[in-house]
Amino acid sequence: MKNELLHVFRNTPFGRETLFHSIYFCKKAGMELRVYIPKFKQFLMYFENGVVTVDLDASYLTDPATAKEHAEKIIKDAGLIPNFIEPKSYTASTLPDLPVDFKYMTCPRSMSDISSKIGLGYIGPKVRNIIKHASFPVLMCTPVYKEWKNITVFFGGSNNAGKAVRVGIDIGKTSGFPVLLFTQAEGKPKSFYEEELDKKGLLQPLKDMGFNWLFFEKGDMKINLYEVSHDSLLIVGAYGHGPIKDMLFGSKLELIQSYLPNNIIVVGPNYEPSFALT
Amino acid sequence: MRFSFHRIDERIQLILIATVVGIGGGFASVGLNRSLELGREFLIKYRGDWYSFIFPAIGAVFSVFFLVYIARDVGGHGVPEVIYSVTRRGGLLRLRSSFSRLISCALTIASGGSAGPESPVVISGASIGSNIACLFRMRDRQRITLVGAGAAAAIASIFNAPVAGIAFSLEAILGEWTATNLVTIAVASAFGTEVCRVFQGNQIPFKGGPFVISNVDFVACIGLSIFTCISALILMKLLRVVRHISSKLISSAILRAGCGGLLVGLIGIFLPDVLGEGYESIRAVIYGHPFDGIMMAGLLTLGKIVATCLTIGTGGMGGLFAPCLVIGSFLGLFYYKILLLIFPSVNWAGQAYFCLLGMAGVLSSVLQAPMTGIFLITEITGGYQVLVSVLLVSVVSVSLSRLVEPFSVYHQELVARGDLLRPRTDRRILSELNLVELIDQNYYPIRPDMRLKEFIEIVKRTDYDFFPVIDPKTNSYIGVISVDDIRAYLFDPHLYDTILVEELIDPSIPIVSLEQELSEVIDMFDYRHDATLPVVQDRRFIGFIYKSKILDHYRKELIVEEEI
Repeated sequence: MKNELLHVFRNTPFGRETLFHSIYFCKKAGMELRVYIPKFKQFLMYFENGVVTVDLDASYLTDPATAKEHAEKIIKDAGLIPNFIEPKSYTASTLPDLPVDFKYMTCPRSMSDISSKIGLGYIGPKVRNIIKHASFPVLMCTPVYKEWKNITVFFGGSNNAGKAVRVGIDIGKTSGFPVLLFTQAEGKPKSFYEEELDKKGLLQPLKDMGFNWLFFEKGDMKINLYEVSHDSLLIVGAYGHGPIKDMLFGSKLELIQSYLPNNIIVVGPNYEPSFALT
Repeated sequence: MRFSFHRIDERIQLILIATVVGIGGGFASVGLNRSLELGREFLIKYRGDWYSFIFPAIGAVFSVFFLVYIARDVGGHGVPEVIYSVTRRGGLLRLRSSFSRLISCALTIASGGSAGPESPVVISGASIGSNIACLFRMRDRQRITLVGAGAAAAIASIFNAPVAGIAFSLEAILGEWTATNLVTIAVASAFGTEVCRVFQGNQIPFKGGPFVISNVDFVACIGLSIFTCISALILMKLLRVVRHISSKLISSAILRAGCGGLLVGLIGIFLPDVLGEGYESIRAVIYGHPFDGIMMAGLLTLGKIVATCLTIGTGGMGGLFAPCLVIGSFLGLFYYKILLLIFPSVNWAGQAYFCLLGMAGVLSSVLQAPMTGIFLITEITGGYQVLVSVLLVSVVSVSLSRLVEPFSVYHQELVARGDLLRPRTDRRILSELNLVELIDQNYYPIRPDMRLKEFIEIVKRTDYDFFPVIDPKTNSYIGVISVDDIRAYLFDPHLYDTILVEELIDPSIPIVSLEQELSEVIDMFDYRHDATLPVVQDRRFIGFIYKSKILDHYRKELIVEEEI
């Protein structure tokens, strides 16, 4: 896995905001930025156990003549080196294959140019499909660029939540931003969650970082979410404990993405952290 | 104890899943056949009307519209996509491919487009195999086998020809005959055929014979082989030309397919037998329809070739199997009529006999798959009596056509892109290895302003032979120094304090990037006879790659392949 973030550039003002997010993330999380400027309406991503077709809207192909120039300028102005992906393999002549060995990928909540689909509570089917199959966490950005100053990881005890905590620790260490855990207890004591963290080898690294824990034993999660900082990067596992967890996103993620307008990193079921926490 | 599917023996797992894949492939072909029948029944009452020549154009437009805008799939008949997935992508195919081309193909063919239903069924069956394999979380090699199983089931069921399905899958799709593959594919092929027989009956599509075959007929086969070879080459060449010219002239995929369909419709006014998949025409030839002389037989052959290239080359959906059979049957008729003209006193085996051989010859040459041609023709005609003649025509025709076109119509596109990696070939084995996993990240970075004396101390302390020189400020890669580079200075202590490390860097050492294919890396090693190369990405040093390590992994991969 390369220490890189994949960004699919959309040559529109909305796409510009998303690129700002990617640049900020790369700077804070110590990533290299790899930008793909689409030339066709679709591309494929071959993951280990599935192939994802990303159908792009026409907005992704807006004015191809200026796309590279725009992206290059934004990246250079931010002090990064522009690094573009040119697909090497094609499944069909108009169907390029993108590499998938990235550490993160940026997506808007929806890869659609319909403005009503960029609001809260909606994650587009293409983005969901990427999250479901991806071997990397996906950064879903807010429509307007906003810097984040701390990291909030949602931890409910599941394996995916554990992976989310690892991602949070990794970004927290690199960025130097404080890491908070958010837990809405479901009838279990705090010690249960501490044990779960400990079993996963995450408690000590969190303690070493001096983490804070927003632990709610009571109350409605919707109301408790107000305690999450407005300038926080949220990290959530995509699937929880439910019997249909492999088919639908967890209810907690759906609630979080419906209520919080922050940037969210979603950790999918096929993501396996490959870095050490020490 | 909880049941786990993955605890079952791997071969049994594959057989069980192949059963499901075979049934799925069978239903795909039955579904397509039924759709074609419905489409034909609906349009048949309008066929005689003056405006019927625009039907292929309308069908092609709807076909491409459905494929591009509703199914959001890409054009092409799909077999190269299946082969690409097998050789490069561990057999991964998109779920939408399991239905998109079926519907699109039904629209093209039912309206009169000159194409066959087989290739879309192949990608459909293969996609069913691939996605079921993903559902059961099978490994790459198992998934590839199941892709082959799906393709075999599709061909077996659409032609009611189980052995041809097996041969096609092994010969054209997988490119290797192994015991595991054979059993799994045979199971899928059998179940696919059974599904077809349950819903459509156990019919032999083009029953011919019995024949009285003499030695003269056998000798005449060689002449027919030359004819089939030439026809196949014309078809392949013209298909490329039409594809190239039409994509240059008309950028809109829908308009392009519509224009192609319109031209096919115009040909159909004069030669209605070239329209559609053409199975009725094959039956007519086999059952002895005279088709009004040599000229007509020749015209039908050429007309079918042109109509097929116009349909498929402009983006209409469909495969080449059926057109090859139709072209072959017309060609056989043409050849038979020439024989009758030149040698009227010879008692030839008959029109049907040369028609069957023509079908085998053209199909084998276009697909470069003689076994598929041989088994298909013998199965779909029930003509095991002609097996030896079919074998001769197929093999001679393929051998001749390979002199001009070394690759099949399915492989040409992949070869041009460098994506055809056949099993057990050098490039295929290298493609199985992951460059990132071969990188050695144990190294000792050196500053460029370090003096030779200091560097020699590091060499003494460590056991590395190569040292990356990295700028401590920007962390960017500057070059590499090997122990050999300093040998000339080792015995002159006066130089220890005067030479800096950066002066010792060999600028000619090439850099490997993470995007490179391993075959390219091997070429780099060979070019300069290096044994170690630095891997650099975005000016950052990643590690070293050693030729010895690649060869070590190469050997292990080769052993794995041999075990399979």
